[in-house]
Amino acid sequence: MSGSKYSFSLTTFSPSGELVQIKHALAAITAGATSLGIKATNGVVLATEKKMPSTLVEETSISKIQLLTDEIGITYSGMGPDFRVLTRMARKDTQVYYRTYQESIPCSQLVRETATTMQEFTQQGGVRPFGVSLLMAGYDANGPQLYQVDPSGSYFGWKASAIGKNMINAKTFLEKRYSEDMELEDAIHTAILTLKEGFDGQIAANNIEIGIVGEDRKFRILTTAEVSDYLSEVE
Amino acid sequence: MQDPDAFDLGGFEFSASSHNAKEGGFTSKLATKTGTTISGVIYADGVVLGADTRSTNGETVADKNCEKIHYIAPNIYCCGAGTAADTEAVTGTYYVYFSIFQLILILKGMVSSALFLHRKSTLRESRVVSAQSILKSHLFKYQGHVGAALVLGGFDIHGPQLFTVYPHGSSDCLPYATMGSGSLAAMSIFESDYKDGMSEDEAKLLVARSIRAGIFNDLGSGSNIDLCVLSRAGTKYLRNFEIPQERTYIRAEGYKFKTGTTVINKRNFQTATSTTTEPKKIL
Amino acid sequence: MRLLNALTLIILLTYKAMCGHECVAIASDNRLGINQQQTTAIDFQKIFQIHPRLFLAMSGLASDMHTLKATFEFKHKLYELRENRVMEPKTFASVVSTTLYEKRFGPYYVEPVIAGLDKASKPYITGMDLIGAAAPTENFVVAGNNSESLFGVCESMYKENLEPEELFEVISQCLLSGSGRDCLSGWGGTVYVITKDGVEVKSVKGRMD
Repeated sequence: MSGSKYSFSLTTFSPSGELVQIKHALAAITAGATSLGIKATNGVVLATEKKMPSTLVEETSISKIQLLTDEIGITYSGMGPDFRVLTRMARKDTQVYYRTYQESIPCSQLVRETATTMQEFTQQGGVRPFGVSLLMAGYDANGPQLYQVDPSGSYFGWKASAIGKNMINAKTFLEKRYSEDMELEDAIHTAILTLKEGFDGQIAANNIEIGIVGEDRKFRILTTAEVSDYLSEVE
Repeated sequence: MQDPDAFDLGGFEFSASSHNAKEGGFTSKLATKTGTTISGVIYADGVVLGADTRSTNGETVADKNCEKIHYIAPNIYCCGAGTAADTEAVTGTYYVYFSIFQLILILKGMVSSALFLHRKSTLRESRVVSAQSILKSHLFKYQGHVGAALVLGGFDIHGPQLFTVYPHGSSDCLPYATMGSGSLAAMSIFESDYKDGMSEDEAKLLVARSIRAGIFNDLGSGSNIDLCVLSRAGTKYLRNFEIPQERTYIRAEGYKFKTGTTVINKRNFQTATSTTTEPKKIL
Repeated sequence: MRLLNALTLIILLTYKAMCGHECVAIASDNRLGINQQQTTAIDFQKIFQIHPRLFLAMSGLASDMHTLKATFEFKHKLYELRENRVMEPKTFASVVSTTLYEKRFGPYYVEPVIAGLDKASKPYITGMDLIGAAAPTENFVVAGNNSESLFGVCESMYKENLEPEELFEVISQCLLSGSGRDCLSGWGGTVYVITKDGVEVKSVKGRMD
C-alpha cells in the first residue's frame, strides 16, 4: 500500500472526500484496452480493442464482448478477470428477474442491478472495487439502450461513449462524428473509425471485436469475416 | 449488503407449516389423481413429442386446454406428467390440484435457466444429456418427493435424442417413450406401429395417434393434442395439432340477458386516468 | 375445520373484440363465514385493485387473504417505484405464483384469480391454486368453494364478443345462479367490469339467506 496513508482501507474517506481505491480502480481502467459503444436509431454497437501481449496468444480463445441475455451484450475496459465475475453475476440477475416476472429484464434494470453490486464492493470490508468500467448495450421495449457503469457504482445512459486507454481522444472523435439520425450500419463504421484513431499498430479483424444489436433484439458478436468486411468498407 | 427492496433469499419457507397443522389443514381442494398422456418418438431426422391438454382437479376438469410440453432450450423440449407421490407424501393434511404442473414448471424453469447460463458462457448449443442429467440429479436428490415424470426430447450435435425421466431420478434413452396415466394406451400404439427411420409426417401421425389412445382410453387424459417437432431444421411447436373432441353442446343462439336483468344496489365508475386504487372508494 | 373461511365465488369473463372495446369482468359474492355455516360478515371484500387496470381476487382463509393483499400491494408498489411503470397482468401473475410457491410446504390457504388489461388493452385472466400453479385461460375462470356449479353456469352462459353491458349481465347471472346452489355463499355480489376507459363497479342484489 503505497501512496496515500488513506489507502489502507478502501472504505475510509481521505480528508479531501475521496475513496482513493476507487481512484486507483479508475487508473487501472484507463490503462486497459479501449472499448466504445454507439447508440444508433435502430440499434447499438459495441466495439473493443483486443490487443494481445504477444503474437503467440491464440486470439480466438478470448472474447471481450459477452452476452447477458439474448438481447443484451456487455464489454469492458480494465481487468479481464473482474469482468468475468461481473458477467456471471449479471447473467444470474437476468435469470432471477426472468423467473420472478416471466419477462426478460429491461436494460435499465440490469444496469441498476450490476451497478448496485459494484457499489457494494466500495463499502464492504475485506473487498476491493472492481477494476473495470462496463459498457452495456441492449434493445428492449424502450428502444436501443447504451449504458456505462463505473467501479464506484455510478452509471449513465449514453448516445455514444468510450472507456479505457484512449477514451479522451475517442470521445472527442465520437462527439464530432455522432449524429442523432445515425443508423446501425453507420454506427458500426464510426465505431471502427474511432477505434482506428488511437490504434497502436495495424487494426485487423483479429485484434478488435464488435457486437451489435438491432431491431430484431438479438445481440450478436460479429464473426472475424464480418469484421473484415466492415474494415475493408471503411478503408 | 442487501438491496433494501430486493426480495429475500428465495427458496422454500416453512413458517406457516406448524400454524397450518394446528388449524387442521385445508381440505377443500382434494385431488387424488393427475392424469396425463405424454409420449415421444425418434424419426429419421428428429424427435416428435406429444401431449394431451387436460388438467384435472379430482374428477373435475380444471383446464380443458393446458400446455404440457415445456420449453427447456431452443432445441430441447420436455413433456411433464405427475405421479400421485408428490400430492400424497408431503404432509398428508392437504392436497393440491395442479401441484404437479407447478412442480414441473419450477423444475423446467430451473433447468432452462441453468442451460441458458451454460449456453451464454460456452457459446454452444445446449445438449439434451445436460438437461437430462440436471433433471435426474434434482429428482434423485428429492427421493421421489418431487413427483415429476418426464419425456425429454431434443436435437443436438449428437442428433435426435429421447429420454424418459422417472420421479426417483432414473432414466431411459429410448426410440419411443410414453409417460403418465395414459402411458399404457399410448404405448400400445407405439408397440404395434413403430418402425425405424420414419418420415416427419409418419412420426407426427404416430405420436398424435398414441396421444389419442390416451385421450379416449384414459379418463385422466383428454381434450386436444399438442405436438413438438425438434430437428436439425429447428423446432416446431404445434399447439392443438388435433382437436378430436370439439364442443358440441353450445346453445345455438346462446343465452341473452336483457340489460337490467340483474338488480343493482349501487354503482360507480372509476375513469382510467383516476389515481384511486382503493376499491372501497370506488364503490 | 376451524378455519375462518371467506367463502367466495369468483367468475371472470373476457371479451375479445376485433378492435377497440376489449374488456374483462371479475365478480365475487360478499359473504364471510366462520366454521362454515355461521355468517360473520356480509360486506367482505374479496377483490382487490392492484392498479387501475389490474385486479386480484382471492378466496380462502380470510387472514391469509389480508396478508397476501398487503404483500402483493407492497411488491407492486416497489416494482412501480423501481421500474417506473405498472405491472402487466402476466407479470403480476408470475409474482403471485412465485410468492405462493415459496411456501410450497406450508402454504397460504387461498385460491387467487387475476384479471386485468395489459398495455395493449388485451384482457388477461388466470386462476391459480394455493401453491401458485397458474392456469391462464381465454374465456373464464372460477374459484372458491362452489366452483363446480360455477363451472356449469359459465360453460353455458359464456359466449365470446360480449359488449361490456352484456358481459356484466352474464357474469352477474352466473354469479347469482352459481351461488344460489351454495349455502355458504351469498349476500349479494360485487362486479367489476374493466374496460380501457375505466372500471365500472356494481353492487349486485342477491339472496340474503
